[in-house]
Amino acid sequence: MDLTDLTRDLEALRDEALAAIAAASAVPEVEAVELDVLGRKGRLTAVLRGIGGLPPEDRPRIGAVANSVREAIEAALAERGTLLRGSALENRLLAEAIDVTTPGRPIRRGALHPIPATIEAIADVFGQFGFAVYEGPEVEDDLTNFQMLNIPPDHPSRDLWDTLYVDVEGHLLRTHTSPGQIRVMHQEKPPIRALLPGRCYRYEAIDASHASEFFQVEGLMVDEGTTMADLRGLLDQFGKALYGADKKTRFRPGYYPFTEPSVAFDVECLVCGGSGCPACSRTGWMTILGAGMVHPVVLQYGGLDPERYQGFAFGMGVERIANLRHSVGDLRLYMENDLRFLGQFS
Amino acid sequence: MRVPLSWLRDYVDFDLAPETLAERLTLLGMEVQSIERWGSDWQNVVIGELLTVEKHPRADRLSLTTVTTGQGEPLEIVCGATNIAPGQRVPVALPGAVLPGGRRIDRTEKMGVVSNGMLCSGDELNLTGDADGILILPAEAPLGMPLTDYYGDVVLDIDVKPNRGDALSLVGLAREVAAIDGRPIRFPETDPPEDPDEITEDRLHARVEDASLCPRLVGRWIVGVSIAASPDRVQMRLRAAGQRPVSNVVDASNYVMLELGKPVHTFDAAAVSRDGTGQARLVVRRAHSGERLETLDHVARELDGDTLVIADDDHVLAIAGIMGGASSEVSQSTRAVIVESAIFDPISIRRTAKRYGLRSEASLRFEKGQEFRLARLGADRAARLIAEWAGGSVASGSVDTNPNEPTPTHVAFRPDRMNRLLGVMLPADEQRLLLARVGIESESAPATAIVTVSADPQPLSVPAGNSQALIAIVPTWRRDIAIEADLAEEIARVHGYELIPSVLPHTPMPPYRHSSLEVRDSIRETLVGAGLTEVVTHALVSPRMAEAFRWESVMPPVEGGSPEGGRLVTLTNPLSSEHSVLRPAVVGSLVEVVSSNLRQGNADVTIYEIGKGYGYESRLGAAGASVREWWRLALAGTGAAEAPAWDRPARSYDLGDAKGAIELIARRLRIDDLDYEPLTGEPLLHPGRAARVLGRRRDHADRLALAGWVGELHPAIAEEWDLRGARVVVAELDVSGLGGGLMSAVLAAAPSRHPAAERDLAVVVDEARAAREVATSIRAHGGAALESVRLFDIYRGAPLAAGEKSLAFRLTFRAPDRTLGEAEVDTAIEKIDRAIASEVSGRIRT
Repeated sequence: MDLTDLTRDLEALRDEALAAIAAASAVPEVEAVELDVLGRKGRLTAVLRGIGGLPPEDRPRIGAVANSVREAIEAALAERGTLLRGSALENRLLAEAIDVTTPGRPIRRGALHPIPATIEAIADVFGQFGFAVYEGPEVEDDLTNFQMLNIPPDHPSRDLWDTLYVDVEGHLLRTHTSPGQIRVMHQEKPPIRALLPGRCYRYEAIDASHASEFFQVEGLMVDEGTTMADLRGLLDQFGKALYGADKKTRFRPGYYPFTEPSVAFDVECLVCGGSGCPACSRTGWMTILGAGMVHPVVLQYGGLDPERYQGFAFGMGVERIANLRHSVGDLRLYMENDLRFLGQFS
Repeated sequence: MRVPLSWLRDYVDFDLAPETLAERLTLLGMEVQSIERWGSDWQNVVIGELLTVEKHPRADRLSLTTVTTGQGEPLEIVCGATNIAPGQRVPVALPGAVLPGGRRIDRTEKMGVVSNGMLCSGDELNLTGDADGILILPAEAPLGMPLTDYYGDVVLDIDVKPNRGDALSLVGLAREVAAIDGRPIRFPETDPPEDPDEITEDRLHARVEDASLCPRLVGRWIVGVSIAASPDRVQMRLRAAGQRPVSNVVDASNYVMLELGKPVHTFDAAAVSRDGTGQARLVVRRAHSGERLETLDHVARELDGDTLVIADDDHVLAIAGIMGGASSEVSQSTRAVIVESAIFDPISIRRTAKRYGLRSEASLRFEKGQEFRLARLGADRAARLIAEWAGGSVASGSVDTNPNEPTPTHVAFRPDRMNRLLGVMLPADEQRLLLARVGIESESAPATAIVTVSADPQPLSVPAGNSQALIAIVPTWRRDIAIEADLAEEIARVHGYELIPSVLPHTPMPPYRHSSLEVRDSIRETLVGAGLTEVVTHALVSPRMAEAFRWESVMPPVEGGSPEGGRLVTLTNPLSSEHSVLRPAVVGSLVEVVSSNLRQGNADVTIYEIGKGYGYESRLGAAGASVREWWRLALAGTGAAEAPAWDRPARSYDLGDAKGAIELIARRLRIDDLDYEPLTGEPLLHPGRAARVLGRRRDHADRLALAGWVGELHPAIAEEWDLRGARVVVAELDVSGLGGGLMSAVLAAAPSRHPAAERDLAVVVDEARAAREVATSIRAHGGAALESVRLFDIYRGAPLAAGEKSLAFRLTFRAPDRTLGEAEVDTAIEKIDRAIASEVSGRIRT
């Protein structure tokens, strides 16, 4: 084997490889050519074994030829490989296309019931002002539900609360969350800032605007210098937090036996904006809660000296707050638990 | 209370528009609930004058009139009334007019004569009680004026609060109107014209057996009355105020009740028995048990011994303060009248009225307590009005069981204390002026003055000391003002609540306290995220539901949970049997919600409620409340657990979904060891598809943090509760902290950097063997490096024998500090192999 033969063989191998590469239609074919020609046991290696039979002066020359052959094949492999790989990805992407306009696979989310959710919202607002949540029993005694709240037996103001009684001597279903005031005053020392949410009961036939079971949130704040101006300030914050900072509020006299002075708190009618409509009995205002300065009799039943401590209490019907927030017109919806109603709060 | 403004003007002047007046009264605490235009339902009714009244040519009973309304041609109108004469002014409903009740008046032909409208009776206009005669208007009524402008009125409906019985009257409300700008009021004349020849004391005697029940009774005697309708103006006022006119004497007593707030009663004097001297004798006493009275509503009532009555020597005449008797009712034949005006014990009246179901305008006023003077004023005013409207002469003097009238009470107050309570800075002089507007005069207090801070039943008085106190002289009608704070309200409301500043508290904050809602709220959010919807149901249920949905299984005590127990708590005055018992468990309410949703066509229902169960335990000799309330988390699910999608069918909700929800909650609450045990004996649940759930925290393994039941509702129960054949999975759980507890913080460990070794182990056991037992055995013998054991497949069939199953577990081994060697894991597996053979009679399939 001389230089010429070897050169010819190398060039033939090159041409054959380049043709095979050009003919390859997929990446594996290119890779097969690479293995066949350039592999450790490939044909190029085999050809170069003949170098040993050449005179030493020819060896560098044949080396240069071999290198150029290798480079040509490698360049062709790389070029064809890149080309084929690119079109393979393209083909795959094409093959994998789906209709992206179909709806997503539904992930079910439940809904929080608007009553506990409203209690949470109320607790959030007052929580910012340091009011912590407390809870009391629903089966109360007459003493705590009425008498300690300055509502003696046979007092005409008892007409404000139609009461459900249970077959346990001296007990009833609490008609309001106000007995919690007494319990908190016994539990804590001033300064007191308490929020008392819970279920209440009244002897009321159920219709769109009356419920025999409903929820209230009571608030109580007692300290040495807690004033009616503080009450107004907090209620203003509350009204604006729930119904919008642009809403006007109104502070006017009310009546509760356990507060003196007593307050009714109104928000500008959310339906008509204050111009007067059937929803607000043409007054332009909606009453959202009752409040007042804790009556000295109640403070004393709570174990506090009314000469030293004073404070306020407020109480609101959660359904009423929720009605106004969610424009619900019928109380019965809350306890019917129709999922088509509740699902809206998802 | 309905207040016709034209009537109110008798007692006070005001020049505010009705809307403004209503707002001012509301801001004073007299909440105006509605403003009614009285007479707005008269359309096209004008004042006319009768020119001629002649017989109808073809009908004897009808008249043919000509009427002028001041303009245009006179109108020919046919009329059936007989009280008309030329020259009278009358209401004329012109063609096209509309009367109360929507009645339309058109031009009609009556017996051959065209009638161009109608002359109206008082009844047709809803003005008086007279339906027969035409309403004859005063001669000065302006011709042609719409009747609405002449007799129309504005009626305010005012919600008078229970502490202001004095304001359940026109005079009382006139005082409130006066407070707006400090004008005086005009108290009505009460003194009747007396006949010097007739002496009341000769005719009438009154005696009270128990002065605590009737502290005062004033009687008046009027002779020679003629019973007839009251003057039109009076009838109109009563109608507008919501009272039905009856007759002049009865109307006089109702008029006084509305005007002064004083219910008075009138007896036909002829029906009261006399003694030998001819003196009628009234006595106020308790009824004798079994005594009977036919009341004015013609119901014969048997009276009990707690009923206060007014009687003569022979009979009961009236239930005191509540309702008169039929036998002494004023009637057409009445010639002499006894006026009785008394003060009764409010509690006695309230109890009696409730007992007989006879709460009336009168009893409501008595219940709220009456000013002592009113007994006299009411009797005098009624006598005066009767004389004016029914003729007759009023006998001189009165009988009065207790003529000593109390003087105004003095209530000391400290102006600086008022400011401190209200958060205002009102000088003492200004406070005095404000009080004066509601009739409360004041003067400087002597140094020895005592301030009443609190009243019965927790009285507290303190010396005024050098606080520059004032003494308020409270008018006798303001029985609601007894303590210093009561005056604060008066000052605040006359000043205007809207002038109280709105500030944020500057007093110290209380120490931090965790919300008792914390655990509940985190469960609620977790379950909603997992697709369950929160419901709120009635705690009051039917006895049937309460009995049906009581767990037979006893809830094991949960640390920080609430134990249940005791008998059902039942209402003694339920509204309906559907809501008459406090529920002992929550699950029944959820089954009912599932049922009602299925009926509505909502087929997929996955819901939860955090609510209470209730019971009563009589603990002999134990003090304190014995009613228990326990918080529970209840779940229910039916229909699809996973909604169908276009590439996926729906998957039915089953026990696994409910357990998954429970496991989710457990994870959220760091209850890291959850265990299910088969529950076969619970009648509410399918015996083969029910489990007891027990959850613990690994660091407190000796205490339960969660316990309860989960399972498919027993088919027999499902059938009974109208579930339309649906399978419903339910659960009821007690969870630590549900009634108020803390969320425990996560204690995080750094993940191991060393690789895990996983081995799958197929364990063949008997079909009856619970997976949990096998897993427990694997865990117990897997060594410290066994990180997790997860059941991933259950296989039955060849080559297994019948009655065998293969449970495939994936075991993950990992050491925190090194890479585990194969040999270590093999050793662990060998130990597990032996344990499975000995503990659960199983074998490892290879």
